[in-house]
Amino acid sequence: MKLQNQLDPLSRRSFCEKWAKASLGVTVLHGLGDRTLAADGPGFGKAKNVIFLQMLGGMSHIDTLDPKEGVTQGPVKPVSAKAGLQLGGTMQNLAKQADKISIIRSMTSKTGVHASGSYLIRTGYEQRGTIKHPNIGAWAQNFLGASHKTLPSSVCVNGQPNAGNGFFPASYSPLPILDPDAGLQYSRSDAGAGVMQKRLAMLDMLDAGFRERFQTVGVKSYTEFYDKTVAIMSSTDLEAFRLDDEPEPLREKYGRNKFGQGCLLARRLVEKGIRYIEVAKGGWDMHNDIEEGLEEHGAELDVALSALLEDLSQRGLLVSTLVVLCSEFGRGPKINGNAGRDHHPRVFSTLLAGGGVKAGYVHGSSDQEGNSVADKQVSPQDFLSTIGWSLGLPVDEVVMSPSNRPFTVGDKGKPVMEVFA
Amino acid sequence: MKHKTSIILSLFALVTTLPAQQKAVSPNTQTWTDAQGRKLEATFRGIENGQVFLQVRNGYVYRLPLDKLSPMDQQAVKTLKPEGLGIPADPNLAQAAARIDLLVDSGLSKGGQKPNPLASDEQFVRRVYLDIAGRIPTREEALEFIADTSVSKRAKVIDKLLNSDGYSSHLFNYLADMLRVADVAQKARFYTYQDWLKSQIADNVPWNQTVFAMMTADGKLLDNGATGYLLRDAGMRLDNLSLTLSTFLGADVSCAQCHDHPFADWTQRQFYEMAAFFGATETYNNKGGIAADMRRTLASLDDKLSRQQTKNIVRVNAMAVEDSTENDLKLPDDYKYNDGKPGDPVKPKLVTWADDKTKKAYQNVQTKNEEDFRTQFAKWMTSPDNPRFAMTIANRMWKRIFGVGIKEPVTDLDDPEACVNPALLHHLAAEMVRLRFDLKQFTRLLCNTQAYQREATSHEMADGVPYLFPGPVLRRMSAEQAWDSCATLVVGADVDKFHAHRGAKYAEVMKVNFGEGMTPESLKADIEEAAGALSQLGKAGKIAKKSKNKKVQPAGDGGDSVEITPPERNGLVLARASELPQPERDQHFLRMFGQSDRQIADSSSDEGSIPQVLMLMNGAAQKVIGQDDSLVIQTATSLKSPEQQIESLYLSFFSRKPKPEELADAVGALGKDLTMRDLSWVLFNTREFVFVE
Repeated sequence: MKLQNQLDPLSRRSFCEKWAKASLGVTVLHGLGDRTLAADGPGFGKAKNVIFLQMLGGMSHIDTLDPKEGVTQGPVKPVSAKAGLQLGGTMQNLAKQADKISIIRSMTSKTGVHASGSYLIRTGYEQRGTIKHPNIGAWAQNFLGASHKTLPSSVCVNGQPNAGNGFFPASYSPLPILDPDAGLQYSRSDAGAGVMQKRLAMLDMLDAGFRERFQTVGVKSYTEFYDKTVAIMSSTDLEAFRLDDEPEPLREKYGRNKFGQGCLLARRLVEKGIRYIEVAKGGWDMHNDIEEGLEEHGAELDVALSALLEDLSQRGLLVSTLVVLCSEFGRGPKINGNAGRDHHPRVFSTLLAGGGVKAGYVHGSSDQEGNSVADKQVSPQDFLSTIGWSLGLPVDEVVMSPSNRPFTVGDKGKPVMEVFA
Repeated sequence: MKHKTSIILSLFALVTTLPAQQKAVSPNTQTWTDAQGRKLEATFRGIENGQVFLQVRNGYVYRLPLDKLSPMDQQAVKTLKPEGLGIPADPNLAQAAARIDLLVDSGLSKGGQKPNPLASDEQFVRRVYLDIAGRIPTREEALEFIADTSVSKRAKVIDKLLNSDGYSSHLFNYLADMLRVADVAQKARFYTYQDWLKSQIADNVPWNQTVFAMMTADGKLLDNGATGYLLRDAGMRLDNLSLTLSTFLGADVSCAQCHDHPFADWTQRQFYEMAAFFGATETYNNKGGIAADMRRTLASLDDKLSRQQTKNIVRVNAMAVEDSTENDLKLPDDYKYNDGKPGDPVKPKLVTWADDKTKKAYQNVQTKNEEDFRTQFAKWMTSPDNPRFAMTIANRMWKRIFGVGIKEPVTDLDDPEACVNPALLHHLAAEMVRLRFDLKQFTRLLCNTQAYQREATSHEMADGVPYLFPGPVLRRMSAEQAWDSCATLVVGADVDKFHAHRGAKYAEVMKVNFGEGMTPESLKADIEEAAGALSQLGKAGKIAKKSKNKKVQPAGDGGDSVEITPPERNGLVLARASELPQPERDQHFLRMFGQSDRQIADSSSDEGSIPQVLMLMNGAAQKVIGQDDSLVIQTATSLKSPEQQIESLYLSFFSRKPKPEELADAVGALGKDLTMRDLSWVLFNTREFVFVE
């Protein structure tokens, strides 16, 4: 099985050139995908793929990755995990996979607002009205080229693309799968190939005047999406999106919910050579009755993440796949009047596994209550730079946006080198 | 707050002091003389039914019978081409619109930009239907407008649309995105909130009154839909307040929830002082009473299904807003500033803006009785004298009509001077107050401006060049506009007729009295009765399609969903988006086209994506539109010649006739290479269809 980049250098070159031409003035400073990257240190370029698990609503670090005792503890007791780690009591299954993970317990962020926090942890930049910032998948496509001939290089599961391409061309935008069970719907036309050909030719003719008159970014991106979609319809790799092909017991093992099935889909896409997959999961905004919230959402995360790590590991994919778990912020040490916890950006935790990352390692710590960073503070920018480093991206290199402003992967964060083996 | 210089704008001064050369003097601006020799300098705007429309410098439009003009001017009228388009019959409206145009034109000329040419009737009719009624016009509606020869036809169609059901549906969609209106929130169904909001819109209740009602609503969600706003964020009053301030006042305080605002001068303490106005308001029922009854009743039931139903019934009955006599708001545990300690109680205090010189809104706000806190806050917030309330909704309405706000983002008006045209923004705020927060009148005003009636801008602004409104921007249809337009193609204007009204039915079935004098036994009986009635309602409403996997469809649990029965084709329910589930399911056209998931305020999307394009090319909508039972196909096939048939399709999809070369191409293919269905597919998949000129 050819797992990695399924493009030969030549077709990748023409592909990049095509999109560079179609791009909206993004400066392509690099050798159009043939860039040879010097291995600059531990972990650099070890990850060929990234699975980015984003918890929405603010995942309580105390009840998952950074358990505490005493008044802070919350509804469930911590659990002893493999490799001598301690995890929150809801992470019973993950405890058995703890010898595959690194945890950063010293994350800190400046925003306690969902939308801006989620934006920051996904892009490394603060949300602005004037520009959209790319996610790591789009950065990777800029530096490394496309990862597949016909399928997109990035996919986002259980969420809208939310301008994940940032200021890069619309074609770098992650392909959204809102329901993993349904997969990529409508990929076949009910009209025959011949009829479709004639329709497309007529479409091109009759819409030419409008496209000529309105040369706006919006109209151009739609035309790009039509071009890409037509290419995808003839792809032989569309089965990548079909979860029905997975054995039933494995589907059960990931958990029969959108997040569990989304994680399974992510593994399938990695196998097909799609570089960057985001899987989102909501339900973490547990201001009220956190016990009930964790029973549902904590358990879904625990089951799916542990199944994913085990599955990737058994298939030999974990070496080259970086699995990341993050959230916009954590939740406070104090149980509030409604038996919940409130927003807490001051300290929280993230998880990294595979892709050259140490196994059974904890980086940094929070204080006794889980209130502040005690040691080795890590910002969202550092965290994203770490992912970029693992993918082999030149994290210091400045790329100019079409508005001619300078940007870097992870906004000048420093990769956390200690997490790499 | 920051100290900023404010522009005190006198409209009169502005109108009279504008240099004359700023507005190109057209040949039909001249001195007119009536039969008695009186003179008037004015611009000829058209003639209708023997009435001549003459617009003077300050925008006012005089209507004079033709025979009252001097013989020479009667002659002039016959040869002159009227200036501009769409003169409203109402002279005051014409004047108010002209004042906005003056400010737009002045902004343009200061920036060295030119206005776009006026939009054609075909461009205008499609745009105005989409902007006001939320869908494309049918072929007949477009033809009716194009064929109308009257001078005031644009003003007339604006009025017609403002009074249509489509107006309410379309405004509801906008507010539903802004307010995160969802069928299910807090694990309860919010149908009564939706119905309340819809009735506010349909009755055209002034915006300040609607918002006041949301802030001050009391009682159970099932009894009073207006409580839905506060209950949407039950138990999360800080989040709710943060959204309240940014949504209604453009006060970007969200950072101050956790720390002092890094850029503006909002402090965390100020945020908590504002939150203290809701410190005595209880939205999460955790103080015994109903909750205890709930548990007792639950314990006495053992059947699993009925327990789930019971839980749902009890939960929705427990959703209520109540005022207590105790303000329990305290500074947070991690409070780190010198002006207070963590856990200190916080007294309510209103924020001020430095540019507000009058402070009228702050007078008579008393903060003695805890029960009155909310009302005091709501009075201040919705007051015409509040320095941001009118401006925020005015800027939002402008964005709806022109595609981009004068100040962006619309949730941040901390510094109104930092926008592309501050004078225009201040003027619109004043107009919102003058029109007494009547959103329909305000929309009417904006649509009657020449600025709105110009062509959409066809190019991207160069980097750093502000958009000064040479016309509206070219926009992709919203998800709701696109869906409602698809449904219009299939069933025509009848699509506006169906209304869901789920709230009243739902409340009637679900309401259980948990008040005094109820025993556990009587409660149990009431709940069982409600559960029985609910399953009857479910059956009567049919559909109730459940996913194979329950957890995938959070809205489907417990079987308490109330379903609806409008026309259906190939599994698509052809009702307006406003009457469908809020939001629709993930794989529905609406969501794939960018409908908000209603988790984040103002989060609908106009991005394209591959799955979306696959859906447009191969999904159910294109199929239903191209079928023989679709109105657009039936209308076209009823015509004789291929030329007429193509023209009919063009009028249905684009509200215009095909150009000669388009007609030739399409006629050449029809019946040979392509069928009528194929051609409908082609027009549906054009950029021209999904973008609004």
